[in-house]
Amino acid sequence: MQRSSAVVGVGESQFYRRGGSPDTEFQLACTAIRRAVEDAGLDLSDVDGIVSYMDTRNNPVRLAAALGLPRLEFTAQTFGGGGNGAASAVLIADAAVTAGYARNVVVFRALAQGQFGRFGQARVGAGAGVSGSAAYTAPYGLLSAAHINAVQTTRFMHEYGVTQDSLFEVAFTSYDNAQRNPRALRNGTPLTREDYDESRWIAEPFHLFDCCPENDGAAAIVVSSPEQARDLRKGGVPILAGAQGLEHRGGVDAFNEAPFPTAHFRHVAESLWARAGVGPQDVPVAQFYENFTGPVLMAITEMGFSPPEELDQWVTGGALRWPHGGLPINTSGGNLGEAYIHGFGLVTEAVRQIRGESTSQVGEPELSLMVAGPGYAPGSAVLFCKD
Amino acid sequence: MGRFMDGWVLPTLDDTNREFFTSGRIILRECADCQTIQHPPEDVCHSCGGTSFAGRGATGTGTLYSYTVVRHPLHPVLAERVPYTIAVVSLDDYPSVRVTGNLLEVAPEDVRVGLAVRAVWEEVPDADGGEMIRLLQWTPA
Repeated sequence: MQRSSAVVGVGESQFYRRGGSPDTEFQLACTAIRRAVEDAGLDLSDVDGIVSYMDTRNNPVRLAAALGLPRLEFTAQTFGGGGNGAASAVLIADAAVTAGYARNVVVFRALAQGQFGRFGQARVGAGAGVSGSAAYTAPYGLLSAAHINAVQTTRFMHEYGVTQDSLFEVAFTSYDNAQRNPRALRNGTPLTREDYDESRWIAEPFHLFDCCPENDGAAAIVVSSPEQARDLRKGGVPILAGAQGLEHRGGVDAFNEAPFPTAHFRHVAESLWARAGVGPQDVPVAQFYENFTGPVLMAITEMGFSPPEELDQWVTGGALRWPHGGLPINTSGGNLGEAYIHGFGLVTEAVRQIRGESTSQVGEPELSLMVAGPGYAPGSAVLFCKD
Repeated sequence: MGRFMDGWVLPTLDDTNREFFTSGRIILRECADCQTIQHPPEDVCHSCGGTSFAGRGATGTGTLYSYTVVRHPLHPVLAERVPYTIAVVSLDDYPSVRVTGNLLEVAPEDVRVGLAVRAVWEEVPDADGGEMIRLLQWTPA
C-alpha cells in the first residue's frame, strides 16, 4: 500500500499446452520461483515468505524444502474466488512485507492441468447425487465456469446492448498481443474474425475462442521492501494500492448474488481508487484476467473505464487494442494468448509494463493495473506504479 | 430424446432442500423472524441472522432473466442432451428471487431474455429410490 512494498523480480517457467509439460507441476513452480528470485538479483536464501491462491497443490512446506530456504517466516493464501485471488495474493505479500513479517515474499501460481483434474471438465458422475448449492444447478447440466459466466454475460449483454463484436475484441486483443511475445503459446497463430465466427459454440454467447485454454506452467514474483528494492539490479515496481472484497450477498450461489450480473469489482473499484488517490482515467495500460471474454467486459466497466451503456461502442472502436487504443489490455497475450496460469502471467506482465520490458510496451506508464478473475467472489485488483 | 434428468445427476435430499425438490411446487424458505425469502437456502438468514425457516409457496410463473444455450457437452451423458438451455427465472411473485431449470419446448434460436415462463415438474426416484424427486423445469407460459 502506498509504495510500502515493491515487486523486485518476476519469472515464469516455459509454458505448455495442457499435458505438454515434461516437468511436474511442483517442478514448474520451483522453476518460476527460481527465475523470479534470479531476476531480482536475490539469492534463494533471501526468500522468507511464500503466498499463493486458489488452493494450491504446491504447499509452501514442500517448496521451502525443495528450494532450500533456510528460514521461512510467512505463508498464506486467499480464500475462494478461484482466479479472482490472483491480485489479492499479491496484497497478502504486500501486507506481510509492510508489517515486517517477512522480507522477501514469493507469490506464485503453478498448474499442470494434464497431471491433475481439468478445471473446465465436469466433475460429477451420472447417477450420483449433488448437495449444497450445486443441487440447484448440476441437475440442469450447469456444470462449469463457462456455463456460469455465459449466463452472467447473456444478462449483461441484454441490459447494456453489448454485442458479440465486443466479445470478439477481447479475444482478438489477446491473440494479437501474443504475436509479439515469444513466451506466448498462441504466438504464430493470430485470430481472425472468420476463425472466431466459425469456431464452435461452447455455451452461448461463448464461442471456443471466447474461452480460456488449459495450460501447464508457472509464474512468480518476489515482493520486498522499497529499501531492499533500491539495492537490487532492476530496482522495484511499487505496489501503489490494491483491493479485495464483495458486497453483502455478493457471492451467493445459483445466480442469486446481489447485484446480478456482476464481475465482483464494484466494491473493489471503489476501494482501489480511493486508496490509490488516482482514477481509471489515469491508467494507461491494464491486464484483465480472461476466463471468458464477456466477464472481462463486465470487469472493465465495473472498474470504471467506461459506463456500461457506452461500453460496446468504446470497445468496438478499438479501445483495447495495442498500441493506439485508449486502454490497451492483456499486452502479453494474457490468459488466452500467452498461457492460462490462472492469471499470474497477467501479474508479471503488469510489472513488466512499469519496467518497460513488455513486448507490447505502452509508452512509459506511471501506473499499471492488474484485475483478477471476473465473475467469482471476492474480486481483487492491484495497481503498480513507477518508483 | 428422453427427459434431461434420466441417467443424469439428481439433488441429494436433505432437511434444507427436501421441500423444494419433492413437493411439486416452488417452496421457498422464509425466515421465521424477519420474513425474508432466501434462495438458495442457507443455515442462517442473511438479513437478521435467524435460524428458523418456514416454507413459502410461489405461484410458479416468471420471466426468463438470463440463460445460456449449452452446445458443448461436458459429460458423455450430456452429448445426447445438447443443445440444451439453462434458464434463470425471476419469479413473478418474488422478482428478486431467481431460480434455475432447463427451458423446455423452445428451440435454442428462439430463446430470449424476458420470455414469460411457467413451472413444470419432472418426477424421478432419488438415487436411493426411497423418495420421489419432483424437479422444477420451465416451459413457455
